[in-house]
Amino acid sequence: MICVDRLTKYYPDLRQGQVVALAGLSFRAYPGEIYGLLGPNGAGKTTTLRILSTLLQPTSGTATLNGYDIVRQPAQVRRQIGFVSASTAVYDRMTAWEMVEYFGRLHDLEDRILRHRMEQIFERLRMHEIREVLGAKMSTGMKQKVSIARALVHDPPILIFDEPTVGLDVLAARSLLETIAELRKQGKCILFSTHIMREAEKLCDRIAIVHRGRLLAEGLLDQLRCQYGQQDLEELFFRLIQEAEKNHQEAAYSGGIERGT
Amino acid sequence: MNWRHVGLVFCRELRDQFRDRRTLFMMVVLPLVLYPLLGMSLFQIRQFMQEKPTRVLVLGIENLQGVEPKLVDGGRFAAGLFDDPQRAELVQLVDARQMPGFEGPLSWEQKREQAKLAVQAGLYETALYIPPDFAKRLAAVREAMKAQAPQTKLSIPPSSSSAASPGKSNEPLAEGTGLSESLVSESFPSKSVPEAVWPTIAVPSPEIFYSTATDRSQVAFARVAELVERWREGITAWNLEASGVPVQAARPFHLQKADVAEQTAFHGAALWAKILPVMLLLWALTGAFYPAIDLCAGEKERGTLETLLCSPAEREDIVVGKLLTVMLFSMMTALLNVGAIGLTGWMLLSQLPGLGAPPIWSVVWLLTALVPMSALFGALCLALASLARSTKEAQYYLMPLLVISMPLAIWPMAPGVELSLGSSLIPVCGVVLVLRAAMEGNGWQALEFLPPVVGVTLGCCALAVRWAVEQFNSEKVLFRSGDRLELGLWLRHLVRNRQATPTAGAALACALLILMLKFFMTVGLAQLDDFVLNVLVSQLVVVLGPAVVFGLFLARSPRQTFLLRWPGSGWRGLLPIGAAAMLAAAIHPAAMLLQAIIIHLYPIDPAVLRALQRAVRSVPSFGQLLVLAALLPAVCEELAFRGFVLSGFRRVGRPTRAIFYTALCFGLTHPILQQAIGACAVGMVLGLLAVWTGSILPPMAFHFTYNAISLSLAVWADQEAAAASLVYPWPVVGASVILSTMLLVWFWKWTASSNVAGLRTSAALQAPSAAVPTPALADPLEAFSTSAAAPDGNPACLPADPCLKPEYKT
Repeated sequence: MICVDRLTKYYPDLRQGQVVALAGLSFRAYPGEIYGLLGPNGAGKTTTLRILSTLLQPTSGTATLNGYDIVRQPAQVRRQIGFVSASTAVYDRMTAWEMVEYFGRLHDLEDRILRHRMEQIFERLRMHEIREVLGAKMSTGMKQKVSIARALVHDPPILIFDEPTVGLDVLAARSLLETIAELRKQGKCILFSTHIMREAEKLCDRIAIVHRGRLLAEGLLDQLRCQYGQQDLEELFFRLIQEAEKNHQEAAYSGGIERGT
Repeated sequence: MNWRHVGLVFCRELRDQFRDRRTLFMMVVLPLVLYPLLGMSLFQIRQFMQEKPTRVLVLGIENLQGVEPKLVDGGRFAAGLFDDPQRAELVQLVDARQMPGFEGPLSWEQKREQAKLAVQAGLYETALYIPPDFAKRLAAVREAMKAQAPQTKLSIPPSSSSAASPGKSNEPLAEGTGLSESLVSESFPSKSVPEAVWPTIAVPSPEIFYSTATDRSQVAFARVAELVERWREGITAWNLEASGVPVQAARPFHLQKADVAEQTAFHGAALWAKILPVMLLLWALTGAFYPAIDLCAGEKERGTLETLLCSPAEREDIVVGKLLTVMLFSMMTALLNVGAIGLTGWMLLSQLPGLGAPPIWSVVWLLTALVPMSALFGALCLALASLARSTKEAQYYLMPLLVISMPLAIWPMAPGVELSLGSSLIPVCGVVLVLRAAMEGNGWQALEFLPPVVGVTLGCCALAVRWAVEQFNSEKVLFRSGDRLELGLWLRHLVRNRQATPTAGAALACALLILMLKFFMTVGLAQLDDFVLNVLVSQLVVVLGPAVVFGLFLARSPRQTFLLRWPGSGWRGLLPIGAAAMLAAAIHPAAMLLQAIIIHLYPIDPAVLRALQRAVRSVPSFGQLLVLAALLPAVCEELAFRGFVLSGFRRVGRPTRAIFYTALCFGLTHPILQQAIGACAVGMVLGLLAVWTGSILPPMAFHFTYNAISLSLAVWADQEAAAASLVYPWPVVGASVILSTMLLVWFWKWTASSNVAGLRTSAALQAPSAAVPTPALADPLEAFSTSAAAPDGNPACLPADPCLKPEYKT
């Protein structure tokens, strides 16, 4: 399971002095569910997922993945997760098979087990025809398949998807979402970030709406619909963001007055 | 480190590089094709260039009538003056009598000016001027010799007297014609005739006009000068014969030369020993650079680095795996290129006499040296390439790297640079020197210096690898976003977001500014021979100035930055200050020994020492000297270095590292290298004092006492140069080491027992640079960020969390 506790992340910035990417984000995701992180661009989704996959260090706060702390035990955390994002690319001069095999070996899998697992994955993702194709010659959909195969090769209990359908056509996106749904059935704990409402509605069990690095709302889909009296998720999302944006501007304005500027 | 992962990364990168057609082409095919082609074209160009004939204007051929042997024969230079008859074609004689501008009733002086102008204008490459009366006077000399033959046989004076007593009577003539260009005039036979025997005869000097402004003219001059020289020798022989003196009198023996290297394996070794190591290093660097760009900046650009970083491979595994790949490519590139150059060069040069193939086991030496050099260059390139955001940015780093490392490789080629302990301790340079010694056949000498060279190279290598690993651990480097550069905005950001103490970047900038100002001051005030003004400017403007300005604008708390606090409560604060002064006195003998060792390794120019002494003695009173050269540096340099620079560097990592960096900067501000090394060592002690006591006063006390002792020695030393390399007797040095160790231990214990305030400052210094909450942030977060600044440096430990506890047990 994923346990995120008051994560904050600041970036230095020339214009604003410091940019708050995450302002105390907390949530939990359990095995066998797909937890959706929903938010507009720049909400802090990618930063959260990068922190969880130990690529970034939080400014403060912590998170544990299956009990391993992301700051103190990054190596163990990396063995627990499979991370797929728009920026985890595929090697140009490696075939699909070689690429997946390479990462399997880095996970210290035995050759026999690795072979068996790879055959299974290539079968399930229907990747046999691109087995010997170099990364440079693949389409975006093929590349994304290879990325998922790479993330699955060590059979991790936690999977993190950062906007995985970006740039995919309808068919490829659909097959990808099906694969993710199938992984839930196997009892994986899945964290899924997106800004596309349709995907979230179709796929996620629970949803967190994130804006400016904080959590605006969280819960089961139906729970949220009841709570805000809005059936359409897109409308709900839009209202929440609008409200938050208004509050933010007011706070900034009153803060400015207090400072006497 | 997991060697399995290292192996996996290495194999993958290797396969990746070999699948890249461009890399293979640049590395393998290009050198094999390029150099032979280049060699061939060089050969052709050389032939092209050598066949150009030069035109020589000869003015005054009529003045040569009757002179034997002949200079001009049938409208061209006499064939007997050339070794190779074919070379006669290369010097075309132009008779001035047939040329426009020289006819008519001109005086010889006017014609001579005319010829000079013609050469200046480039109409002829050179001009040879034979003055009037030349033949007549030469004949007169010969006649006189014939007539006096019996006497001269007995009384030929030693030849040295010819230079000492030039005939007075020929001076007016020589002055009239002897210009600076008349290079051949000096030793014409007329002057070597002793005045006592032929008092009145002087032969006017012929002159050659040429211009150093063009290459062609210089080549022509060399050719003509050679001809005239031979002709003069002929005249000498002729004259001697006429006077009955055997030719052997002027040339009693012939010098035989023999190169012993021809019989050994080191035939032509010197040339190869100079060319091959430099070529090898150059290509090792280039060969490391391009793969490193592809493996770091390239991967970052293509997005595959993020994939790799979230795999279980540790950063060290990835860096070492990549380093091995870069190393292998660096070695392969170097070997292929040097092999191709060697082969082409050997084939071309073997046509020259006296040069053979490089001795076979020099190749073995080259191979051995290649491994550490490739490792060093590989690690450096890797660190630079991982610093870069894109491959384009990485390419920019090649030039600075080349500019820094090439002088280190080329300097050892300079004549007179020998392998010694001092030079072997300089990175890159030591390797080249050892290689050169080995290739020249001094294998044993090379072996003797192998340990320091290997040690230094491995040390540099380890540092570079660590740097590269740090780059891979820094998220600022890995996820650098392309910010728009706006200088004003950036400066405002720096000032607005400054914290209690400066950042490491500010510290580095301050140290660099001081260094640059110091350099410009040394150059600018070099003519100014005023010691007092020099010291005032260098301390107040160059050292203290930048530190104060930076401290005001880039740090919120000058007190914390410059460690402006009393080191203890009440009178107890005097203890560390007094102890620091004692430590300075105690450590002085040991420091002087170190200085003596440094001067032994890198001998100092006595002139520099004398200048220092003169400067010190130019100050009227010792009291003034103390203020200028001990008190002022103690205050200014300590505030700048142990104050601002150290505070900044303490933001990165452990205090020891900060102390080392500060000491390094401090050492570099000393203009004399030998002084700089010693200052660096003393700077370490000063840094320790500053960190331990948390106050600037003990370092100041130490600095003042240390300088005061050195100055007293300099003033009262018997000999001028002795002060700099004075060595105390051994028992004193031993006592010095023991006493200073004891004092340092006392400092350490004193800090631990009484230094609550010191701890507080260091905690504040090490606090992460977060926590300037924006108004939008809620209260809990602010509370959170303050707890993040807890002294242990870790991000805050959370209060007990139901979610955390059971999980840790599993």
